Amino acid sequence: MPGTWITTRAWLLMLPLLVIMVAVIGWPLVDTVRLSFTDAKLVGTAGGFVGFDNYAKMLGGSNFQRALITTTWFAVVSVAAEMVLGVLAALLLNQQFRGRTALRALMILPWALPTVVNATLWRLIYNPEYGALNAALTQLGLLESYRSWLGEPGSALIALIVADCWKNFPLVALIALAALQAVPRDITAAALVDGAGPLNRFRYVIMPYLAGPLLVALVLRTIEAFKVFDIIWVMTRGGPANSTRTLSILVYQEAFSFQRAGSGASLALIVTLLVTILAVAYAALLRKAAGAS
Amino acid sequence: MSALEIRNIHKRYGEVETLKGIDIALESGEFLVLLGSSGCGKSTLLNIIAGLAEPSGGDIRIGERSILGLHPKDRDIAMVFQSYALYPNMSVARNIGFGLEMRKVPAPEREKAVRETARLLQIENLLDRKPSQLSGGQRQRVAIGRALVRNPQVFLFDEPLSNLDAKLRMEMRTELKRLHQMLKTTIVYVTHDQIEAMTLATRIAVMRDGRIEQLGTPEDIYDRPATLYVAGFVGSPPMNILDAAVADDGLRLASSGESLPLPVDFRNAVTAGRRVKIGIRPEALRLANTGMPGTRVTARVEVVELTGPELVATAKLGEQRITACLPPRTRLVVGLEHAFSFDEAALHLFDPETGRTLLTA
Repeated sequence: MPGTWITTRAWLLMLPLLVIMVAVIGWPLVDTVRLSFTDAKLVGTAGGFVGFDNYAKMLGGSNFQRALITTTWFAVVSVAAEMVLGVLAALLLNQQFRGRTALRALMILPWALPTVVNATLWRLIYNPEYGALNAALTQLGLLESYRSWLGEPGSALIALIVADCWKNFPLVALIALAALQAVPRDITAAALVDGAGPLNRFRYVIMPYLAGPLLVALVLRTIEAFKVFDIIWVMTRGGPANSTRTLSILVYQEAFSFQRAGSGASLALIVTLLVTILAVAYAALLRKAAGAS
Repeated sequence: MSALEIRNIHKRYGEVETLKGIDIALESGEFLVLLGSSGCGKSTLLNIIAGLAEPSGGDIRIGERSILGLHPKDRDIAMVFQSYALYPNMSVARNIGFGLEMRKVPAPEREKAVRETARLLQIENLLDRKPSQLSGGQRQRVAIGRALVRNPQVFLFDEPLSNLDAKLRMEMRTELKRLHQMLKTTIVYVTHDQIEAMTLATRIAVMRDGRIEQLGTPEDIYDRPATLYVAGFVGSPPMNILDAAVADDGLRLASSGESLPLPVDFRNAVTAGRRVKIGIRPEALRLANTGMPGTRVTARVEVVELTGPELVATAKLGEQRITACLPPRTRLVVGLEHAFSFDEAALHLFDPETGRTLLTA
């Protein structure tokens, strides 16, 4: 058969990679699927087959539903805020002014910080006894006395969203800035002469150039936000009163804190499925946008 | 009252002064071409008129009012860009009507204006298309349409034809001339193409180094160039420039020692012993027949190029080269000396130091 040798050699060359991928991705995935149908504990019992019990219990439980709402809220608000902030920052940094290059470099800084460092930093800012936010707000007269921003269910999620935005809007800004630089100068000049004000120029002239790249940023950020774990774990561990418990936190608690490996696995697979649906929907959207331009 | 008046316009970018005092007054219906090589300041001047750049000094008036400090949209101007600058996401109709839309002209009125403009430019069948579905020439028509539809006081064109291929450029040039003759609009047009300048303009401002080298009708610029630069810039092939000195009995060529008569117009301007630059256009030279009267020089033919309508001969006159444009079937032998004759009135004299013409009148 022609090409047999080539095919064999290709497989041989790929073999090491395949072995590693099967070992670190394939096997854990298969094992997670297997686990999700058992009542296995993290330590001790291997567990017996329980069918779809875990899925039914998780999907029907109030914990999952509440975590889904929390996650969606977190993702929608933080991504929306990041998009708006990012585009505004990009518009600003696209203007001609002294120190623009330095400011562009500075802007990337929050994004370049490791999430754990960023989270620790914001925990200090929100600190109820010596936090900078409390100090600033009381000194400005906007706040009577120090508050525990992360300690109150009403404010903890918002505080987390602010911290997440601060870290991630630079990515959006960077993508938007690159897109803005691709807008031909003549076209904005033509719009000026045509009498388009700043809002109309943005809407009719700049936005068409921005839409595609922003959609990519939106896809990336939504999927990331939906999977959010580290920033929340460092800052609130899902508390207070589970008010910041997102799906990933719930998975972690189920599998590791409560050591219920079986139901933890089923929850993890549910989250994976949700993110996959998001990703596929966005991919279709992107293809449509690419076709339209 | 002028339709457009440019008064002592200066523009500095830090240390560099790109415009050094520009004065032009345009009557309504004039077609002014700003002609110059890149970096001469012509586009900067256009941008200042449009309000896309601010001058460092001077004033610009349209009609009776100064337009400095006004937003581009309030200047009653329209501009056509080199890159067409069409909005890629909008249809041709919306592109043309966008200026009216932004000025809140009611939709029915707007549609009527767009349709009329499209008819004028013969692009009615393209109104529903996107710019990406148009050819270069069609895009240029849309860009012109976008300017025309607003019926402004002054039209500004920034090298509008330079992205088109040679054939299309000629077609659009004729089209622009037709539109101007029909609509009698006031136009300021930037180009580095001297043919465009000569064919389109009612007046040309030849610019160099942020200054106007010469402002005049195309005939003025071609027949009476004010400086060596203008003489060399306008005309293809450019004017022949030869070193010479004024003698008692006329002019003596530096390279060959041949004598030429001193044209009447220059007799009062120069005295014997003075060094000058002589200019003579290639198309003013003819192949001299024996016994034919007139001024003549003898030069050895080096290269002969047939362009179709004419024959361009390059010949060596002593140490200098001259070019002659001759009828296509002229018989020349490369390597042999030929006599070229011309009318003495075709001679131009320039001051070798200042480069300015020695014509006093």
